[in-house]
Amino acid sequence: MANTNGSVYGLTILSPIIDDANATPSHDLQIRAYLAQLSTREDSPFAIAPGTHLARLVVMDDVIYVGMPSCEEHLKSKYLIFESNCDGDLDSYLTGLADTIPSHLDAIWSHCVGYPTRGAGDRQAFISYMKACQLETTFYFAAVNDKSVPATLRALQTQTAVADFIAAHQGVDPETVQRDFLDFAAQLKSLPTLPPGSMGPYRAIRTGGHNE
Amino acid sequence: MSKLNATDIQGFVLRGYNLPVARYLFLRLEDAQRGRTLVSRLLSQVTTGQRWDGGKPQSTLNIGFTFGGLQRLELPLATLITFPVEFQQGMRHRAELLGDTGVNSPDHWDPVWREDQVHVWLGINGQSADALDACQAAVLATLEEAGGAAVVGVQDAAAEVVDGRPTTSEHFGFTDGFGNPEYLGVERSSQPGQGKLLDDGKTWAPLATGELLLGYADEAGELPVAPVPHLLAANGTFMVYRKLHQNLATFRTWLDQQSTLYGGGKEKLAAKLIGRWRDGTPIELSPDKPDPAIAQDPKRSTNFTYGADADGSRCPMGAHVRRVHPRDAFGFNGRLINRRRITRRGLPYGPFAAEDQPVADKDDRGVIFMALNASISRQFEFVQQQWIQYGNDSHLGNDKDVLMGNHGGHGRFVVPGDTTPANPPFMCSHLPDFVELRGGDYFFLPSITALGMIALELVDPR
Repeated sequence: MANTNGSVYGLTILSPIIDDANATPSHDLQIRAYLAQLSTREDSPFAIAPGTHLARLVVMDDVIYVGMPSCEEHLKSKYLIFESNCDGDLDSYLTGLADTIPSHLDAIWSHCVGYPTRGAGDRQAFISYMKACQLETTFYFAAVNDKSVPATLRALQTQTAVADFIAAHQGVDPETVQRDFLDFAAQLKSLPTLPPGSMGPYRAIRTGGHNE
Repeated sequence: MSKLNATDIQGFVLRGYNLPVARYLFLRLEDAQRGRTLVSRLLSQVTTGQRWDGGKPQSTLNIGFTFGGLQRLELPLATLITFPVEFQQGMRHRAELLGDTGVNSPDHWDPVWREDQVHVWLGINGQSADALDACQAAVLATLEEAGGAAVVGVQDAAAEVVDGRPTTSEHFGFTDGFGNPEYLGVERSSQPGQGKLLDDGKTWAPLATGELLLGYADEAGELPVAPVPHLLAANGTFMVYRKLHQNLATFRTWLDQQSTLYGGGKEKLAAKLIGRWRDGTPIELSPDKPDPAIAQDPKRSTNFTYGADADGSRCPMGAHVRRVHPRDAFGFNGRLINRRRITRRGLPYGPFAAEDQPVADKDDRGVIFMALNASISRQFEFVQQQWIQYGNDSHLGNDKDVLMGNHGGHGRFVVPGDTTPANPPFMCSHLPDFVELRGGDYFFLPSITALGMIALELVDPR
């Protein structure tokens, strides 16, 4: 199926942004302003809500006319693009968003045409709205397509811990290694999985481009 | 394509001179008019890529400019703004992107590189110290006549001389300088392993000229980003200059300590770090011992691939030569790396010390690393950022290049093993910083025609 790659779902949503000459600032600018202050680490809405491998929100103003010989065309509306690589099935992912980060969703999507009046609090209306705005993703790349987000985080944690264990035990006699390893394995098992977004570097959101 | 016009291209760009000593002079220009006079007077002394049918000259002279230098020469603004962003910014302002942080950050560089005072690089290569002095004297006389330029830095470099013959050894004791890429149209004796791999996975062909020179198609069939007018850019290239200090005492102590833990022994561990034995033999071809017959045979010394060594049991994924020139290691017969190649020049600086001689990290020794490429951001900066300071492409996570990486005390290097006791798996952790950056910058090395245009104030972007 074109929206899935392995066990990962490739979600593409285009929501038309309200065009209101009386809005100050305009709705697209209000979305931009809200997105620009979001965190990219543990407190990112997509780290708080379950199941997101990677998400991206983009305000698309229009298609750009590049001059002859192309013909000049325009979109009927500005759009908010939401792309997400997420776990499992779409309904449970959207439910997870609605249940955990409703105020973020409302702050962003309330500037879009047709967003439910009661917002993400009306879970069924929210899911139907998102699905109505969905496009088929067709071809996409998923960096990890066979593990859920918690399983991926767990694997990274295990990899780092095992590498550190090996480094600390090189040349140690086998009995000690075995004893320490059993302790280590038990300890590792009891460790809580690190929260999503906690391992990345701190960086400010930028506007993109080759030289950043 | 036909043969390049070697008389229009600076010799330093087209070939490694293989001259044993070098001196790099860094100039600050005071004003445009006297700067142009200087360029015009130096022009006749600049060494071109023309063949040396009458034997090597006593010395050579080449010239390059920082963006600040081109500004000081008052090139038209419409030309200046067409230079690539990274060149306009200069290396100091790219520090974070390059991983030049911590001990490698510009605060720790030699004073000459801490401010934007270097405008011109003059590279002198020579047969002897006397030849260097003679060439430098001629250059200084020209400087004196033209006025308006001051020498703000001098850097000497020299090959190690053994039994009266210059070698290609560097301070850590490895043979260096294998395997610069070949380019279409550049006359050079061809060597398998030095260009790009063809679809059969074993034949090598020259890279597109535009990977080295501006004004020619590159590996994507595009013209590299270059300043206007075309005539200013064509036959020119960009150079990255980096002074890399080597902590020799740290390296020797560390290698001694680690090799007591490694079952393969000291020399094998040293070879695993680099991907070549100290004499240059690729461990991919000879995993158990150095083999001078391979190292000295141009048909074999660079002629290998990693396709059959995916687990790195011969050459570790993190070995320096495999990181910076992964050949076919990423699949697709190497096509993913053809736009990431650089041409290296440069020589060691500082006194050589035999294994039994005492050394200290603070001794002034290292290597002057110079890389030539059509696009600094696409070629050098990519290699530095992704393949030296990061490990993802090599499936090594956050691990950095063992020798060149800016480890900050956290570095890790894995030697994959196989089933034999002579090649056990081994992990080095808490790597010290073996190499530290002491400064440098990005330079534009124009063609002979372009130098004339600059000298005569004829750069016309319209």
